[in-house]
Amino acid sequence: MRGRGRTISTVAALAAVALVTAACSGGSPQNTSSPSGGQVKKGGTLRLGTASGIDSLNPFVTFQQDSYSSFEYIYPFLVQYDTKSLQFAPDFASSWETSSDGLTWTFHTRPNAKWSDGQPLTAEDAAWTFETIIKYQKGPTANFGQDFAHVSSITTPDPNTLVITYKKPVAVVLSNLQQVPILPEQVWGKYATGDGKGLKTYPNEPPNGQPMVGGGPFVLAKYQKKQIALFQANPSYYGTEPHIDGFGLQFFDNDDAMVSALKTGQLDAIETVPATSVSTLKAGGANVFIGPGLEFHDFIINSNPKKTKNPELLNPQVKMAFEYAIDRNEIVKTAWLGYGQPGTTIVPPGTGTWHDSSIKALPFDLDKANQILDALGYTKGSGGIRVANGHPMSYTVIFPHDEQGSGDRAFTIIQNDFSQIGVKLTQKPMDDSAAFAAITAPGETGYTEFDLAMWDWVPLEDPDFILSVMQCNQFGAWSDSGYCNADYDKMYLDQSAAVDPKQRLQIVYQMQKKIFDDRPYIVLNYQDILDAWTNGWTGFVESNQGLFNPLSKESMVSVHQV
Amino acid sequence: MSQAIQAVETENLSLPPPRKKGNWFWDIIKGSTQAKIGLGVILFFSLLGIFAPWLEPYSVHQQSGAVFCPPSGHHLLGCDDGGIDMLSLLIQGGRISLVVGFCATFVAMVIGGGVGIVAGYFGGGIDTVSMRVTDYFLVIPDVPLMIVLATLFGAKLYIIIFVIGILLWTGTARIIRAEVKSLRERVYVRRATALGSKNSRIIFRHILPQVGPLLIANTVLTIAIAIFDETALSFLGLGDPTAITWGKIIEFAFLRTAVSAGAWWAIVPAGICVALVIMGCYWLGQSIEDALNPRLKVAHLSPRTFRLRPLVGEGKDAL
Amino acid sequence: MRGADYIIKKAAFAIATIFVAITLNFILFRLLPGTAVTGLSRVPHATPALRHALEVEFGLDKPMWQQYVIYLENLFKGNWGISFANQQPVWDNLKTDLWNTIPMVLLGTVVAILVGIATGIISAWRRGTKLDQVSTNTAIAFYAFPTQWLALVILILFASYLPSHGMENDFLLNPTPWQHFKDVMSHMLLPSLTIALTLYGEYTLIVRSAMLETLGEDYVLTARAKGLPQRTIVRRYALRNAMLPTTTLIALSLGYIVAGAILVEDVFSWPGIGLAVVDSVAARDYPMLQGAFLVLTISVVFFNFIADLLYFRLDPRIKE
Repeated sequence: MRGRGRTISTVAALAAVALVTAACSGGSPQNTSSPSGGQVKKGGTLRLGTASGIDSLNPFVTFQQDSYSSFEYIYPFLVQYDTKSLQFAPDFASSWETSSDGLTWTFHTRPNAKWSDGQPLTAEDAAWTFETIIKYQKGPTANFGQDFAHVSSITTPDPNTLVITYKKPVAVVLSNLQQVPILPEQVWGKYATGDGKGLKTYPNEPPNGQPMVGGGPFVLAKYQKKQIALFQANPSYYGTEPHIDGFGLQFFDNDDAMVSALKTGQLDAIETVPATSVSTLKAGGANVFIGPGLEFHDFIINSNPKKTKNPELLNPQVKMAFEYAIDRNEIVKTAWLGYGQPGTTIVPPGTGTWHDSSIKALPFDLDKANQILDALGYTKGSGGIRVANGHPMSYTVIFPHDEQGSGDRAFTIIQNDFSQIGVKLTQKPMDDSAAFAAITAPGETGYTEFDLAMWDWVPLEDPDFILSVMQCNQFGAWSDSGYCNADYDKMYLDQSAAVDPKQRLQIVYQMQKKIFDDRPYIVLNYQDILDAWTNGWTGFVESNQGLFNPLSKESMVSVHQV
Repeated sequence: MSQAIQAVETENLSLPPPRKKGNWFWDIIKGSTQAKIGLGVILFFSLLGIFAPWLEPYSVHQQSGAVFCPPSGHHLLGCDDGGIDMLSLLIQGGRISLVVGFCATFVAMVIGGGVGIVAGYFGGGIDTVSMRVTDYFLVIPDVPLMIVLATLFGAKLYIIIFVIGILLWTGTARIIRAEVKSLRERVYVRRATALGSKNSRIIFRHILPQVGPLLIANTVLTIAIAIFDETALSFLGLGDPTAITWGKIIEFAFLRTAVSAGAWWAIVPAGICVALVIMGCYWLGQSIEDALNPRLKVAHLSPRTFRLRPLVGEGKDAL
Repeated sequence: MRGADYIIKKAAFAIATIFVAITLNFILFRLLPGTAVTGLSRVPHATPALRHALEVEFGLDKPMWQQYVIYLENLFKGNWGISFANQQPVWDNLKTDLWNTIPMVLLGTVVAILVGIATGIISAWRRGTKLDQVSTNTAIAFYAFPTQWLALVILILFASYLPSHGMENDFLLNPTPWQHFKDVMSHMLLPSLTIALTLYGEYTLIVRSAMLETLGEDYVLTARAKGLPQRTIVRRYALRNAMLPTTTLIALSLGYIVAGAILVEDVFSWPGIGLAVVDSVAARDYPMLQGAFLVLTISVVFFNFIADLLYFRLDPRIKE
């Protein structure tokens, strides 16, 4: 309800700034644990604070960022991201090849790997997990079903080789597989029977003080809902062992308490620092990381071609005028206290080359905006509000709770500026479920009632997801703008099958341009990542999703005391 | 007079015999320091609210200082997270907080008073149904119910007023009902009925003037609760974000990490204002009550408990 | 009215109220715009296929009256349903939440009652003096402070000295029972203090006025005329009579214990039922909402019932 941090987002890698502030550790995070210069101090338990949270530890139930990040550390994944280069790096699969037609992917998994309970960890575990997901994708495992679209078969010619064959070329194979945790069959097998309902009702929490069976650098040793998740180093891990004994993820209900806890030494590090706390933390001597993130906030204009109310909002000229009237720089400065960048396309710069930097935002120019609206014949009526199609240009902006805080300030700026071009905006706050219901009204797929809204997205590293939300078939699903365009949908299918990266990049650029020109969104700003930690610790591997993320295992493996 | 009527008369000592209207209010004020202070506080904040635009040193919509600037010569009470002057925010906030308080109370009084009078006077089926409805509102915990209602209806100011009013009317209804019930048994009312006076006439000429002072005392105390409830709603993020109220100021400060930034000025003054107004209401309401009948059980008129007490068996008025 | 009749009537009334509350709440929650599934609109994994699967699983595709019947059937069998949010039985979630909330609020309430009664007695005894005025007005002041504001002020004042968040130090590994107890108590101090300060004023005022009322009675005047010392009068008459409204107030307050903590839990991140309600509304988690409201309602109704019984037992007038 209150601005409680990101709601979703799985992994994606982006430009990561590996933060090394002390002399202790050096070099790339994939180094082994004793570099030639200086001993890395071992041991200790890192206390990490978070204001988002974990709703459930069951991968088939949860939708929270921190859950996905937790899975990254306790389960093997086939691949992970190198958060610096945003290329895929080995995890459980140490290497892989594709056939020339792009339909067959062969992964070589690490030999002699074990689960934390001593059972062998092989490619067969991966196969079992993936097949179970596919088997129940219409029901209990529906949330991972999408990641195995177009799979025709999964085989394990030997315990350390996994072969996945696709029916058609899929461009996002690695990006999909990066998101799926490999689960221990010895724990989950008994639930994968019958209708598979057990897969969802199994809480997946440490039983009675015993750590949970896992295969990552850490195992989950203790979990108390809304309080703490304690991770211990896993001696059976197939990769580089961590320097620390373990870390604890402590859940906070509000940012204030979390920042206080860091200041008073009750925490060692916090993720998603609120912008208003940065100066406080710096003054207190903490290290604050500021880096490009993925989250962006948008101003949504209902673009459903079937909409009949207020048709002037469908006019591209009007949308352009709106963009001229939005002062992005002021928004970044005042609402976000300068921590961010003005927005342009829906694929953020944080994704690296996927972002089309040749697309430039329209500058803040009230005169230009007024000119455009004047030229359209929308003369100003009573109260200085323009009249279009026989009614005043006075619109309600749906405002979900997600956007509270900085979003309120951003709205005020937009509202004031719009009043200067003769458009009146009224803020309509509601909680997230109500907001979405209001956008899709009437019913779940109408999209004809609302005019304007403000919301945000946290895209993944791979642009496929954020591009997919603009499709026609996302009405009632991810669409919050009613945008529907057949050309765009075709481009989406093309890019998702474009196995050649250069070719795919071109299509992705074209798609960004199309959305930018059609303006279902005016992207306001790209939010920076803000993390903080005390001087006693170093070695965090940052990313565009913060220091505790579902992109790679590097961060918690590299961190150590000073 | 018959024994029975005498017994009834001596039993119903909840209110003194009818007195002249009009002067009783000022008599009370003149007679009690507590009432004077209470009225004074309420008037002070009301005037502050009315003349807010002229009194605010800075605009409440524009940044005039640094983020969380501390109290200084320029900004007597510092600034909030947007660099907006706190003093101006407080003055503006008082205006809307009081408006919400008064309006919600008005809603509660009209509904509660109406239901109470009708239920108490007519008794029987109407009475039973009304009481069952008030029971529902009394047993449902109010803060959770407020959350649900505010989510249901949205967060515009008039809806918030409505939601708070819905929660508060039941307390009033109960008290008024109890009084009206006992009034109904008074000799002069019985006489009027026997003489064939219409119900509406009796209600307006005999019952209402008697119940009036009690209603007023209750109104004043309800204002206190209404303001209190508004701060709770705002704090949970359900207030109208476009309306600056004291509750919203506290909530926003908390949301924007004022505590960890050490910006106590963004939080403390707003709460003190709320407390002062509530105390003022309490003093005034209490004085009226005390004057009306020093022997009235205070329990059922203190702000929060008058929601509780009426469920307890009341002897003849037991449900 | 006969004792037994009175009790039965009150009991029946209590049960009927609970039933009405269940029904009205059921409808109320489903009136909220959007459902638990619409809340999942912005998640990469929430494909349309998943959402449909969830709707079926949550029973949201059935007509309301059918959902209602299923709900009641399950309730009578003791099954409170499964939370939409974490797929666990509602009762398990509530148990944990209540287990966390109750001690904290109970501690605050007990302190409030004791301090309230003490200050109430003192104020009544020394009526009209400066002591009375200070005591009464302080009580009113704390009563008037918004609960969340009071919590924030306490946080500001004491954050460096006492734990200000959560229920225990989660990083205290393998504590002895004594260590654990100390740890939880240190975390409980600030939130319970807030509750105590918010509540005590009420008791002060009630005890004070109840005692004053008694002290103004004829028989007390008679007793005083006969030469009985003030202390005896206070003890024998005033105090005893003040206990009636006080006891009923205590009983009634216990009913609201659970709900009253929402604001405090929010500020101190106390993982209790208050927060559970707030989260459940946002997530449209009907089973959790129904369960939480039911628990709160039963609590209030039960303690009201106790209060009625107490009043019946203690009020000499009703007995006649």
